Amino acid sequence: MAVDELLAQFHEIAASPKKQLEKYLAQGKKVVACAPVYTPEEIIHSMGLVPMGVWGADQKVGEAKKYYPAFICSIMQTVLELGITGKYQGVSAIVIPSLCDSLKCLGQNWKYAVPDIPFIPMTYPQNRKPSYGIAFTKAGYERVISDLSAATGAKFSEVALADSNRIYNEHNAVMREFAEIAADHAVSAAQRSDVFKSAWFMRKEEHTAMVKQLNAELAQTPKDKGKIRVVVSGILADSPSLLEIFDKNEIRIAADDVAFESRQYRTDVPEDPNSLDALARKYANMDNCSVLYDRDKKRVDSILELAKRHDARGVIVLMTKFCDPEEFDYVPIKRACEAAGLLNLNIEVDRQMVNYEQANTMIQTFREMF
Amino acid sequence: MFTLGIDIGSTTSKAVIVKDGREIVASSVVIATVGTDGVSDAIENVLGESGLEHGDISVTFATGYGRQTYPDADGQVSELTCHALGVHHVFPDARTVIDIGGQDAKVLALNERGRMANFVMNDKCAAGTGRFLDVMANILKLDISQLEVEAAKALHPAGISNTCTVFAESEVISQLAAGTKIPDLVAGICKSVASRAASLAKRVGVRETVCMSGGVARNAGVRKALEQELNVNIASCDMAQLMGALGASLYAYEKA
Repeated sequence: MAVDELLAQFHEIAASPKKQLEKYLAQGKKVVACAPVYTPEEIIHSMGLVPMGVWGADQKVGEAKKYYPAFICSIMQTVLELGITGKYQGVSAIVIPSLCDSLKCLGQNWKYAVPDIPFIPMTYPQNRKPSYGIAFTKAGYERVISDLSAATGAKFSEVALADSNRIYNEHNAVMREFAEIAADHAVSAAQRSDVFKSAWFMRKEEHTAMVKQLNAELAQTPKDKGKIRVVVSGILADSPSLLEIFDKNEIRIAADDVAFESRQYRTDVPEDPNSLDALARKYANMDNCSVLYDRDKKRVDSILELAKRHDARGVIVLMTKFCDPEEFDYVPIKRACEAAGLLNLNIEVDRQMVNYEQANTMIQTFREMF
Repeated sequence: MFTLGIDIGSTTSKAVIVKDGREIVASSVVIATVGTDGVSDAIENVLGESGLEHGDISVTFATGYGRQTYPDADGQVSELTCHALGVHHVFPDARTVIDIGGQDAKVLALNERGRMANFVMNDKCAAGTGRFLDVMANILKLDISQLEVEAAKALHPAGISNTCTVFAESEVISQLAAGTKIPDLVAGICKSVASRAASLAKRVGVRETVCMSGGVARNAGVRKALEQELNVNIASCDMAQLMGALGASLYAYEKA
């Protein structure tokens, strides 16, 4: 299949999560919603359930405002809004991790605002690397397994989880490969986003097969040069209006440090005879993310390294409005970029933005500086 | 060669004609913007002042809020790039440019060649912009041009919140009710805008010579307050509001 056809398929899936949900339900499968930022999808998958990401949508918030203060992340607000307004009808449960204060609010509000979709908490430890942290994570996973069984009747087995861990590791690898290929080939910012976004709405083995095909086709196309290369960082980078500005100004996303995108695929489940232990160790091994506690802020160096490795001329931070973890990290990122001679932009984004004029001016100016 | 720069801002339209990328031949500011006759009026004004006709203009570039939708330009360029070019043309030693316009504020860092090395824009908020001054002038029943006159009379500048235009509006009304004198209030309002702009400038880093451009630069009250906030002298000139259009005209020459 040609590259354009494949990219059109990714776009269709990325743009129609509802259609995907209905497709899986029609196949008799049970679907479990996975809230940001990291949920143990491997467990859900291993129990024969379909994990689908729920990261909100670009829309107005009405009903959900009853449950939140005014100044809170719009991703959380729109997830709850979609739940209240029945957009997740058919979903068997939702797993909400406790990785930031807003996510804790989402979980607690969900129980009352959307009582027909069971809320399953996933409580992660702050100190995830020591043995007691790994044990804590494992205990959290056991709670998720127990709640999933209660909500869906599905059974858990270590053998099935080992298989799912392998499937997710393979998916991680093809997504990492895609990010590298897209950095040098004719893939627009919007198309790149479609590939990452569609992953949230498909079973991973299906997505892996499609991305493998795309990678193979793209690798045969000529390299696409002449654009300004940047690293994009943030929680989300899926707004079509915003991505259009990147494309219009011939700015290529050479690499990303986006929670919705590459941060998901950096860490594989390690080899371990016990598959649940292995999954808990995966979480312990994860790093370089604003919601993963790190006293030394190694994420800053990882962004610089990403920029260096991909010949990026700058770092564009898409700052989700009212996202405390990202805002705390921005200061050292900005300072490090300046010290390294990398231009950096901080563009505020949220799910309710309709006017991107300011972002347009900033990105256009960035382009004109070269 | 004559080039035309048009700056379609959020409250005014500006036009500048430059000869051979050096000499400013004509300029115009019209208080009307996108969707009005403001742009065409500004162009007719500069053509009239220079004695030129449309056909004499080799290249036209648009900038500002309405740059993307203006159909008759040969190209468009961001207002930050234009302010950098315009200020460098007038003040070759400028290293920091503080541009406060009708609805946004920007600070640009220029290198020795006058090229932009870094920039920062305000958040999506009216505080610290010309809109803030408009709202406050309206409450005080003053024309915007009277603000600097009143500010100069202040003996004890009032403290005004610089966090939000809406909150500051109610704060000014409260202070009026409490008997605070108008000059003191106006000085406090100017200080509030200056404080916001100074915060932005510190994010980029302040290097002298510091210049101010944009419509708010015409307000000596804000300029002086900004000098105090940053503890530097700030250069400006009568053309401050025209720097964007001048930059667009210079950019047009570069691209010709």
